[in-house]
Amino acid sequence: MYDVIVVGGGIIGCSVAWQLAKRKQRVLVIERTDVASGSAGATDGFVGCYTKKPGPQLDLAIKSVQMFDTLQEELGEDIAYQRGAGGMQPVEDQTQWDMLEKTAQLQQQHGLDVRMISAQEAHKIVPGLSTDIHGALYCPDAGKVNPMNLSFAYCRAARKYGAEFMNRTLVTGFLIEDGRVRGIQTEKGIFYADVIVNACGSWAGKVAGLAGLDMPIKPRKGQLAVTEPIGFYMSPTIQCARYNVIKFHPETIKDETVLRLGSSMNIAQTEEGGLLIGGTREFAGFEGENTLEAIDTMMKRVLRFFPGLKDVHVIRYFSGFRPYTPDGMPLLGEVQALPGFYMAAGHEGDGIALSPITGQLIAELIVDGRCSHDITPFSPNRFSA
Amino acid sequence: MKIKQTDIAVVGAGSAGLSAAYQAAAAGARVLVLDENRLPGGQLFKQIHKFFGSRAHQAGTRGYMIGRQLLERVERSGAEVWLDTLVYGMEKNCHLGVIHNGEHWVVQAKKVIVATGAKENYLAFPGSTLPGVMGAGAAQTMINVNRVLPGQRILMLGSGNVGLIVSYQLMQAGADVVALVDAAPNIGGYGVHAGKIRRAGVPFYISHTIKRVTGRDQVEQVEIVQVDGKFQPIPGTEKTFDVDTVCLAVGLNPMTELIWMAGCEFCFIPAFGGHVPLHDGNMETSVPGLYVAGDVTGVEEASSAMEEGNLAGVAAAESLGLLSPAEAGAKKAEIRGRLDILRSGLFGEKRRTAKQSQLESMADYRQKKGGAE
Repeated sequence: MYDVIVVGGGIIGCSVAWQLAKRKQRVLVIERTDVASGSAGATDGFVGCYTKKPGPQLDLAIKSVQMFDTLQEELGEDIAYQRGAGGMQPVEDQTQWDMLEKTAQLQQQHGLDVRMISAQEAHKIVPGLSTDIHGALYCPDAGKVNPMNLSFAYCRAARKYGAEFMNRTLVTGFLIEDGRVRGIQTEKGIFYADVIVNACGSWAGKVAGLAGLDMPIKPRKGQLAVTEPIGFYMSPTIQCARYNVIKFHPETIKDETVLRLGSSMNIAQTEEGGLLIGGTREFAGFEGENTLEAIDTMMKRVLRFFPGLKDVHVIRYFSGFRPYTPDGMPLLGEVQALPGFYMAAGHEGDGIALSPITGQLIAELIVDGRCSHDITPFSPNRFSA
Repeated sequence: MKIKQTDIAVVGAGSAGLSAAYQAAAAGARVLVLDENRLPGGQLFKQIHKFFGSRAHQAGTRGYMIGRQLLERVERSGAEVWLDTLVYGMEKNCHLGVIHNGEHWVVQAKKVIVATGAKENYLAFPGSTLPGVMGAGAAQTMINVNRVLPGQRILMLGSGNVGLIVSYQLMQAGADVVALVDAAPNIGGYGVHAGKIRRAGVPFYISHTIKRVTGRDQVEQVEIVQVDGKFQPIPGTEKTFDVDTVCLAVGLNPMTELIWMAGCEFCFIPAFGGHVPLHDGNMETSVPGLYVAGDVTGVEEASSAMEEGNLAGVAAAESLGLLSPAEAGAKKAEIRGRLDILRSGLFGEKRRTAKQSQLESMADYRQKKGGAE
């Protein structure tokens, strides 16, 4: 008998487990394959606020990013967090500029240091960046982290507080009695707990389905490339402004291929010197293959901003799933229809940055019955109205 | 992104790939051969020694002459050859991602034959990253293709045929081979090759391995040590040689990256160099329409590679309806007969058994999947 069973050993599940175990809960984490084997192991480590929509999402991100300042110390291991690495969004035309500027102004009201800069200023910060741009949004405070290190650090910290992890275990169903959850069925047997947290990321919709719940979380494939290590090339993480256009105004995009592939560009340099390049968001179910079409589109896009990378070798292509939700916001909290069943999933591209706050708030909700930060906008019940 | 459509795409223009291309093009298929090198021929043009075996396998002819003849046949057959062309990836539907003349192409072929060959194994020891430590195959390319001597004083590790032949060719090219070292208690390769080197006065150190290589900015000295029956170093048996080059001839492993991407099923056969793709008697893998030939199916030698290429080329052409079952059947029977001869005798027996188990694994796989064969 456990107090809480967390389903999913990804970055969110591990963070939730850590926060719960710290609050003296007996926690079992059930993971289908291995810790960080899903999205956290196939993404970049962007930690920033400026890509978030002003409103509840931005407020949550600001809180979460603040937590990174002390996270490494609390977890007691190296998570390769670089505070103040910077974040930048090159802009290609006046429409994008206006869109970002409007958001930036709202973000400034939240106290965020985010500014619009000229092409020359952007080039000065990142010399590899082409000057053939309209300008850029720049956020000097943004940071980056190694998402695999962070997941494993949460996991080990949780275990130090007594949390148990069961890897290579498939969940097959839930025990439901008198309308509330009592436990979980797995390939390895039944485990009892009155509280279950669904932290299955892109798979959270599927897992909720096993409990008869309809949670609108869909996998969205992101394809990435990693290059050979090169010398120091850039400090900030960079997303082209089309990322925001695709996220918030997809109706304005005319190019069918760009829309279908969700093709933008993001790039960051790892501590080891390799460049992580990404920039697709596709609906392809759980089919995770790299495609020649996406590779072509991604590489052309990155060269449009960084022509100097022409002769750098890509050593590997891979992909990860991002848990998409219809309004771009995660599902956090207890499901009304099934007391004891909590959702902590659906962060799409924000899971790494939002992992600290998600763990804390879910743990507070379960242990204290209330949160230190209002999570009603993220209610998992908002779609069933 | 440009798109190129063809009947049969062949990846690799070595012994197997050129043979496959010739057979398929001769049967009337539109064939495109892709190779990342500047020159076609794979390993054949490095091989200045005479081949063994029967007349059917051009015994007594030097490797590069065989390559030249094969290339002429391919050119006459009408197959198109793209050189300096990198195949960087393959989708599950066997479409190929290709960089050709600095442009990104997608090659869409009805059938794909992968003949990517093998790559050299590496061995790690202190100093193994110093300039001057290289694969024996790399040294052979330098002397026989690029006409550059990699060094003056050379120690060779590995006494299989590659180690023996390359040692002799390095001596012919003007280098001193100061020692030939092998951890096994016996010489691995053919006696006729070993005899030539022994007669030239090169000492063999069997049951020995490299302990370390030292030097400031490049190889200057190599220290070897005797090993016991469990391959553990015996202290006090160290010997040091002044050398500028250390060649590693410690085996090859199949270049299977592309076919892994396509989703082929594999089995593990140490005698073939590691993981090798399952394939049937037509050289077709578990991915329909994807064929393999040559060392990528398991490391053997050039003659078997050519015959496997012939087989794959004929089978692919047959599956496109370009050869009748009777025509193809006759050709395949002839080729399989020659392959059986190549895989017989003292040295061939092990490969014959290995190939048999690989074919059986494929049959098991198909049976489990409920397919016919």
